[in-house]
Amino acid sequence: MSDIFPKWTNRLPLMIIVGAVLTGTAVTAGCWYYLTNKYANVGYMPVQPVAFSHSIHADQLGMDCRYCHNAVEKSWYSNIPASSVCMNCHSQVLKDDPKLAVVRESYATGIPIHWVQIHKLPDYVFFNHSVHVNRGVSCVECHGQINKMDEVSQAKPLSMAFCLECHRNPAAKLRPLDKITDLDWKPASPEQQQVNGTKFVHDWKVESLQNCSACHR
Amino acid sequence: MKTIPPPCPVPDTGPRYWRSLDDLADTPEFRQWAEREFPAGASELSDPVTRRNFVKLMSASCLLAGFGLTGCRKPVENIYPFSKMPEGYVHGLARFYATAMPSRRSAIPLLAKSNDGRPTKLEGNPHHPDSNGGTDRYTQASILNLYDPDRTTRFMQNGNLKTRNDVVDFLKKFSDGAAANGGKGLAFLAEQSSSPSRARLRKIITDKFPQARWHEYEPVDFDIQRQVATVAFGQPVTPYFKIDAASVIVALDSDFIGGEENLHVNIRQFAAGRRTQTSGDPVSRLYAIEGLMTLTGANADHRLRLATSLVPAAAAQLAVEVLSQTGKGAADDAVQSLAKSYTGDKAWIHECAADLVANAGKGLILAGYRQPPMVHLIANALNAALGNIGKTVIFQDAPEPVPGTIADLGKLLSDGSVDTLVVLGGNPAYNAPAELNWPQLQGNPKLQVVRLGYYEDESCPQNGWSLPLAHYLESWGDARTADGTLVPIQPLIEPLFGGLTEIEVLARIAGLDDTTPYNIVRETFRAVGGGDDEAWKKFLHDGYLADSAAKPVDVTLNAQAVSAAFAGAGPASVTAPSKDNLEVVFHRDYKMDDGRFNNNGWMQELPDPITKMTWENVFLMSVKTAKDLGLFSPSKENNRIQAVWAKIELDGRTVEGPVWTQPGQADNTIALALGYGRSQTGRVGRNSGYNAYALRTSKNLHCALGAKISDTGKLHSLSVTQDHGTMEGRPIIRESTLAEYRDYKGKHPEGNFAKGFDMEKPPSFDPLYPNPFDELKKQGVHQWGMSIDLSACVGCASCVIACQSENNIPIVGKSQVANKREMSWIRIDRYFTGSPEKEDAIQVINQPMLCQHCEAAPCENVCPVNATTHDQEGLNVMVYNRCVGTRYCSNNCPYKVRRFNFFDYNRRTLEQLSGPVYSTPLLPKGDQHGVLDWLKDPDRGNKPADEWELLKLIKNPDVTVRMRGVMEKCSYCVQRIEGAKIAAKVRAGASGDWMLKESEGTVPKTACQQACPAEAIVFGNIADPESRVSKLKAQDRNYNVLDFLNTKPRTTYLAKIRNPNPKMPDAYEMPNSTEEFESKSHSSPFDNKDAWPGSEAGKGES
Repeated sequence: MSDIFPKWTNRLPLMIIVGAVLTGTAVTAGCWYYLTNKYANVGYMPVQPVAFSHSIHADQLGMDCRYCHNAVEKSWYSNIPASSVCMNCHSQVLKDDPKLAVVRESYATGIPIHWVQIHKLPDYVFFNHSVHVNRGVSCVECHGQINKMDEVSQAKPLSMAFCLECHRNPAAKLRPLDKITDLDWKPASPEQQQVNGTKFVHDWKVESLQNCSACHR
Repeated sequence: MKTIPPPCPVPDTGPRYWRSLDDLADTPEFRQWAEREFPAGASELSDPVTRRNFVKLMSASCLLAGFGLTGCRKPVENIYPFSKMPEGYVHGLARFYATAMPSRRSAIPLLAKSNDGRPTKLEGNPHHPDSNGGTDRYTQASILNLYDPDRTTRFMQNGNLKTRNDVVDFLKKFSDGAAANGGKGLAFLAEQSSSPSRARLRKIITDKFPQARWHEYEPVDFDIQRQVATVAFGQPVTPYFKIDAASVIVALDSDFIGGEENLHVNIRQFAAGRRTQTSGDPVSRLYAIEGLMTLTGANADHRLRLATSLVPAAAAQLAVEVLSQTGKGAADDAVQSLAKSYTGDKAWIHECAADLVANAGKGLILAGYRQPPMVHLIANALNAALGNIGKTVIFQDAPEPVPGTIADLGKLLSDGSVDTLVVLGGNPAYNAPAELNWPQLQGNPKLQVVRLGYYEDESCPQNGWSLPLAHYLESWGDARTADGTLVPIQPLIEPLFGGLTEIEVLARIAGLDDTTPYNIVRETFRAVGGGDDEAWKKFLHDGYLADSAAKPVDVTLNAQAVSAAFAGAGPASVTAPSKDNLEVVFHRDYKMDDGRFNNNGWMQELPDPITKMTWENVFLMSVKTAKDLGLFSPSKENNRIQAVWAKIELDGRTVEGPVWTQPGQADNTIALALGYGRSQTGRVGRNSGYNAYALRTSKNLHCALGAKISDTGKLHSLSVTQDHGTMEGRPIIRESTLAEYRDYKGKHPEGNFAKGFDMEKPPSFDPLYPNPFDELKKQGVHQWGMSIDLSACVGCASCVIACQSENNIPIVGKSQVANKREMSWIRIDRYFTGSPEKEDAIQVINQPMLCQHCEAAPCENVCPVNATTHDQEGLNVMVYNRCVGTRYCSNNCPYKVRRFNFFDYNRRTLEQLSGPVYSTPLLPKGDQHGVLDWLKDPDRGNKPADEWELLKLIKNPDVTVRMRGVMEKCSYCVQRIEGAKIAAKVRAGASGDWMLKESEGTVPKTACQQACPAEAIVFGNIADPESRVSKLKAQDRNYNVLDFLNTKPRTTYLAKIRNPNPKMPDAYEMPNSTEEFESKSHSSPFDNKDAWPGSEAGKGES
């Protein structure tokens, strides 16, 4: 037999056990880290150059999302408003407030405000805002209740699993088009949502896109 | 936790390209950067890194990358919104602007795509009356020149840096000085132009400075058409050909498909006459008489192989035959005596003439720019005699003052009667006739040269001013297209490096008060289109001025003038070149043009449509000549193609280069492509090819006899992308003659003509496992497919460059091409058929080959990670972020259309293009980028900052830029499909009405389809029976490549129909490829048609 199995094979069981333990540890550690929302940056709340409060503007003052993010229905990109948009109101309201010094300066000098990006997708993902908000997907589904946030933080993991959750079953999330920017809107009941959602999927011919070309090009 | 907001930060240092932000245009940082010198041209790597070292370095870099990435997983990124929102601007939406690319005496109308202020793609303007939206390959590639890191970026005087203001001051003083002395000693050397604004400024200048001289020079000059027509018809006219109206076309050394002016128009018109829907449709017939193998010869039904210097005799013989057959009297004496020296195939000419006479009024004779005036006179006289004028060729007024030639200017310069020479564009020091010795003339220290140029090249003066020229996408201008329609040239971006336009320089020299190019163009337009602002806006919006095409002029041949001209037009007789008296022919290169695309990587790497040569030019000669001269040894060493390095001597001038054989070329002729071998060019064009201009003199601009060639004993390795000559009898290409096609259809009205070629019948049983796509397909709203018409495709390769531009395809460099690692997603397979011994009968056929999007895709089964899968609309999609680079898919692809990123081609420096291997030292070494640099800035790779920042701008933001280790391939332009679907869904909103419909124009075009002037490529929804593609696929010429593999490709082809004249001496019953198919033990393709009834084939269903 020694011709067939060399001597080192005597250590094989030990090697297998040690290998299995090491691999198991690596897998556990990997899952622990990579499969959590922490890895997906949920809760990321960087300090912004201007202490802009969505809660005041969108919730208390009742401004529509699209007053500032006006390109969201036309472009793949939901734009950050220009300083001039802020100044539409703030040339009258709180026009000497020190918190707004940066905005006034930017408006006067033409130097853009350096906002810190929060919601980020990998470069190989092509997400289009316009096709979602025009077809019954609310801002709240991906961004959370921004209207309750004083400082914006990332609410959802924005991972592929997160996207597919909705793409596999769009009926669970679709809402009437006039409620898209109403971040407080809730369906009457989960059953009602299922009924309405199914109707929207049927009437609007909503595709449940799960193939690669839907997002990767 | 609340923090006090930080003060408004200052902008990051470094360049900014977002030139749509006008306020950023003039930052000091930008100025400083723009004026910086090029990075020094690093020498090539001389020490090839061994494989062992390479692996060591790679593993080290992986290890370091692993450490590095844990620390900086998500860098903080900023968003910079506008300070003041420009009205109507939507970030992220591409916009299209109508503009035009000026060419020599014409222009190509364009729609240019702009992504957030940077032009990214050029497309033909389909609304223009003389355009179908197709372009030529030069146009597609021209956008890369805009972002060329080697273009000139600075103003200089005598080699010292100056500012733009210095130049403005200088031009002001200069203008005042010239006005004072009437322009004495002032000479201009310009390129040709069709711009009415430039013509106007030129007039202002010559009126104001009566003593100033105006000269124009084009190394490749098509103006001979106008010059000869003006003589022949006794009035200043220029021809406009209606090739689609001609049923018989005779090309006298005229490469109207590949090498003349207005290629996109010519190809469109030619293809229109070749496309058929049923076997009953008429097909035009093309006769070509030529010495070189050109694209026109490749598409001809009959081709007479004749040395270029013998073509005048053949033309004369044709004239004699035509006149004797029509009985309209004898030909002129000069023509008759010239015809006597014709020693070629007289029966060929006789039957060709008979066909022309039989189709009088429907024929067209074209003469090429390389031919002497004699041939052009004959062409005009024959067109007149056959009544073709007004039908297949019309004439337009061309009342332009005739400028001086470069030879005249050379005389003035050597006399010393010129003090100041203004060179507008062009590169005379490189491409002027050799005997002028231009660099010396221009370098005269007593002379002041003011040169407006795009590169700091051979003509960049040390004795005067060098001004950067703005790209046409940065300029205001105007032009006239071939049919005379006025088109605007609109800038899409501020000049990246502050360049000047030709119009502005001329206006400043003229001393005009208003020198803004916009106002000058606006002023010119006022005279033509009226002063109305609305008309101007419409002009800019449409991209052309409606009804501004030139009105055809009634012309009659001025027989006396023609006779007189014949006598003086020479040659009186011709001598055939021989082994000891070789002929050299200088020709416009299919890629470099006359050298203006020399630093364009897309063009350098594009395989020449005929030779498939990349990155250089060669001495082309026929197989027989190469053997006779003992230069025939295409040996292969280390799997590299080796060619003999030879030396040509002509009139005491020599040039050295590699010898390559070209089947079908005339014997004892050597073809030299212009545009290579530049001594001063950018990093891409450096070391590519030899300089054919070194042999070219005013006497022999196009062709010369008396050359000698000798072997130097050296070998040179070449990168040729395709060197096989036959299809080994495989029915990859299917072609037949019109007669056979009609005969077959007469016998089998329901049969599918092209299907009969199949070697084996595809298996008709159900596969063992069901194809998952059959289920998936049911969810798809559209089913995409493509049809490529081989009858229409001329092989011009516009699609290849368009695809490269649309899909962010990198260039890889000569050594990588030799390793067969070129990346283009669509290639044109060029097949020669026939025996190399019978060079007269060589036939050429082109087939665009791209991913076939098989429904039963062999690549998908073998991918271990599912990185290539099907979507529900039938696209075989490639998921880059999933791909691990096993390359099994490419291995299993029967069509060989997959491309693998062996290296990070997007990040390699331009210098590394010519380097032997990809060297990444561990530590930064000199100006080499090390692994540590890579860790600091993983975004940039090896490229120097300026190059990287500039080349980033050309990328299409809708397509992923692929990295090393990833497979890629044609995606049917999935970004355009998804873009169209998204737009339709946005429009639909709360309704289900979002299906893309051809009738509503919402179905997208792929980039290759859009660029194709021949409309040979049609893409669309095959689930819609009314779509164009469905109708094409239902034609009986439709077939699948390698159908017996049962891959059910979505891309199908329409068989090529040739139209030979049975009376010709070289008539053939079947094309060579079909004969070969039969001789390789398959039966006649047309016998077993009954086995293939029905026309269900090609719909991807078995």
